[in-house]
Amino acid sequence: MTAADLLNLLIAALLLAGTYAAMSVGMTVIYGVMKIVNLAHAGFLMLGAYFVYELHERLGLDPLLGVLLAFPAFFLAGMGVHWLLVRWIPSSDKPTLNSLLLMFGLWLVLQNIGYLIWGNTDRSILTARTLQTIHLGPISIPKVGLVVFVAAVGSVVALELALHKTWFGRSVRALMQDRYAGRLVGIHVERTARLTFGLGIAFAGAAGGLLAMLYSFSPDFGGTFLLRAFVIIVLGGLESFSGVAIGAVILALVETFSIMVIPAGYQPAIAFSLLVVALIALPGGVASLLQKRQHLA
Amino acid sequence: MTKHALRNNRPIFIGLALLAVGAGFQGGKPAADEIRIGVVMPITGREGKPGQYQREGIELTFKQINQKGGIYVKALNKKLPIKEIFYDDGSDQAKSAGLVERAMTSDNVVAVLGGYSTALGEAESVMPDRYRVPWITPGAAATAIFSRGYQYIFGALAPIELLGYTTGEFLGSLVDQGKLKKGLKVAEVVENTDHGVDYVNGINRWIKEHPGYFQVVFSEKFELGGTDFSGLLQKVKNAKADIFLSDAHLQDYITMQRQYLQSGMDHQMISYGARGPEQDARKALGDGINYIFAGIWWSDNLPYPQAKQFIADYTAFTGHKPDSWYAAPAFDATRILAAAIEKAGSLDKTAIRDALRTIELKDSLLPGQVLRFGKNGQVNTPFVIVQNKPGGKVDIVYPKDAATGDPIAPKPR
Repeated sequence: MTAADLLNLLIAALLLAGTYAAMSVGMTVIYGVMKIVNLAHAGFLMLGAYFVYELHERLGLDPLLGVLLAFPAFFLAGMGVHWLLVRWIPSSDKPTLNSLLLMFGLWLVLQNIGYLIWGNTDRSILTARTLQTIHLGPISIPKVGLVVFVAAVGSVVALELALHKTWFGRSVRALMQDRYAGRLVGIHVERTARLTFGLGIAFAGAAGGLLAMLYSFSPDFGGTFLLRAFVIIVLGGLESFSGVAIGAVILALVETFSIMVIPAGYQPAIAFSLLVVALIALPGGVASLLQKRQHLA
Repeated sequence: MTKHALRNNRPIFIGLALLAVGAGFQGGKPAADEIRIGVVMPITGREGKPGQYQREGIELTFKQINQKGGIYVKALNKKLPIKEIFYDDGSDQAKSAGLVERAMTSDNVVAVLGGYSTALGEAESVMPDRYRVPWITPGAAATAIFSRGYQYIFGALAPIELLGYTTGEFLGSLVDQGKLKKGLKVAEVVENTDHGVDYVNGINRWIKEHPGYFQVVFSEKFELGGTDFSGLLQKVKNAKADIFLSDAHLQDYITMQRQYLQSGMDHQMISYGARGPEQDARKALGDGINYIFAGIWWSDNLPYPQAKQFIADYTAFTGHKPDSWYAAPAFDATRILAAAIEKAGSLDKTAIRDALRTIELKDSLLPGQVLRFGKNGQVNTPFVIVQNKPGGKVDIVYPKDAATGDPIAPKPR
C-alpha cells in the first residue's frame, strides 16, 4: 500500500468521524443532563433525514439549508416531546427502566409514523455534489463527505462555545456535574432540562439531515447508527463533548483501518468489541483519561 | 396498587402503551368456505421494498383467481375463493420464522408463500417440514436452503450459484467477441450470506472450467447493512483488478456504488449480482448506475405475450410498472400453487405438496416459459443479464437470443 493510499484511508476515516460525532452529540447532551439514554435518537435521525428530503424535493432547497432549518424545527419538536412525555419520568442520577422503555416505545412510534407517511420506499437526496470528488494528485475527497464533515464539526464547535459562553451553557454544565448542587445555586432545573432535551433532539434532526446527504434512507433509518452513537458516547465518557469527538475519531479510525488487516465481514464486530473494551478497561471513557492527565499536571 | 405507585410508574405504562401501538397486532379467525394461504413478506425494514413488490405479485394472482370464482376443489365439488393471511416480518429473521409457524399452526393455512431474501427464507425454511405444510419462496434462492432434504419446501427462483455461473458465461462471451481481453483480473466482494457464497462459487466454477479467461485477484465478504465501505473499496483498489463483481442487496448496492464513485474508482465492468436496474438506485445515483450489469430472474423486456399481459395487469393493479424482477416470480409461484391445489383436488397439505412436485406451469413468465420444481424443490430456469444504459434504459444483453441491445464493454470511463 502506498502513502497516497494510506492518506486516502485517513481522510475517509476523518470524514466518517465527523459524521459519527454529529450523530452522537445529541445523545450526549440529553444523557449528560437528564441521564436518559435516548433510544428514540434513531427515530429523530430518521425524521431529520425526511425533513431535509421534503424541503429539497418540494421547495428545491439545498440540503445544507434544510439542515439549518431542521435545527430550530427539531428543537421545538424536542421541547414538545419533553412536555408531553419526558417530564413525567422521575428525575434520577442514573438511567432508569422507565426512561429506557419510554424512549424505545417512542422510537417504534416514530418508525411507524414514518411508514404511514412515506411508506417503505428508500429515498435519497441527489444533488450536483453527491457524486463529485475533489482530486488533489493521488488524493480523492468526496465533496459531499467534506461538506458534511465541515457542517458536523461546525455544529459541535458551536455547541462547545454555547456551553462555555452562555448562561444556559453554564447551567447545562452545572447540571451535568451535580443536579442538586445546580438547583441549590438557583438553576431552574426543569426549564434547563426541557431546553436541553430540545437541543439534543435538534442535533439529532440536523445530524439526520446530514446523513441523508450521504445515505439512502427509509423509516428504519437510524438503527444502525444508534449502536455506533452509543459506542462513541461510552468511549467518550458519556457526558463529555470533547470525549464524543475523540470517541468518534477512535471508532472511525479503528473501523476503517482494521478492515485492511481483517476481513470486512468482521466490521460490525469492531464497534461491539470497542464497546466491551471501553466498558471494562476504560469505564470513564477518554474523558476520564484527560481528567487524570489534567489532575497530574 | 397505591396511587403513589401508579404515579411513579406512569412512564412505564406510557412506554408499554407506546410499545403496543408501535409494534401493532393482528389476529386470525378459523377458515370457512375459503382456501387460506399464508403470505409472510417483509413490508417494512431493509427488505421492505422488494418484499412489497413480491406481495403485489402474489395479490395480483389472488385477485385474478378470485375474480374467476376461486380454485376448483374436486373433493368438495366447488370453487373456493382464496383468503390471504398476511404477515409483515419487518425483515427480521426470528420474526419471519415465528410468523410462518403461526400461519401454519394457528391460522389453518394450506400453504405459505414467503421468504424474500436468502436470510429470511433460510429462517422460514425450517418450519414447513415440522408442520407438514407446503411453503414456496419466490425470493430466496441460496442452495443451502434446498440441500437439507426438506420435503415441503419449494423455490421459484433459480439457484444463485447459477447466477454466478451465468455472470462468468456473459463475461466470457465478451472476451470471445473481442470486447474484453483475455486474462483480466477480477475482484469479488460479496455479502456474508449463503447468497454471496453461492454467487462466488458460481463465478469461480466458470473461471475454473475456462482457464485463461479471468483470474481472481481479490475475494472478500462484507456484512449486510454496511454504512461505510471505504476500507473495503480501498482493498479492492489495491488489488488493481479490471472487473468488479459484487453481490449485494439493494441498500448495500446503493451505498457501495455511491462510495465507489466518490472514491474515483473505475473498472472495465461492474456488477452487483442480481441488483442493478432498480428505480431506487436510479433515483439515488442518477447516471452513476449506467453500464452496471445484473443477472436477474425476469425482465420486463422478455418478449413473451404472457409477460406483456402481466406487465399490463400489474400496472393496472398497483399503479406502477414492475421494478426489476421481484414481482414476476411471486406471481408465478402463486399461480403454480393454485394449479397444485386444483390438481390435488383437496385441501390436504400433503396432497398439495405431492402435486407441487409434479406440476408444470407452461405459460410461466420466467425465462424458458416453463416452471417446474426440481427434485430438491427448486426451479432451474435460466438467468438473463441486463445492463443499465444512459437515459434510464435497461437492455437484456445476454443470452443473445433474448437480447434487446448490445452489451457495452468495457464500460466508458
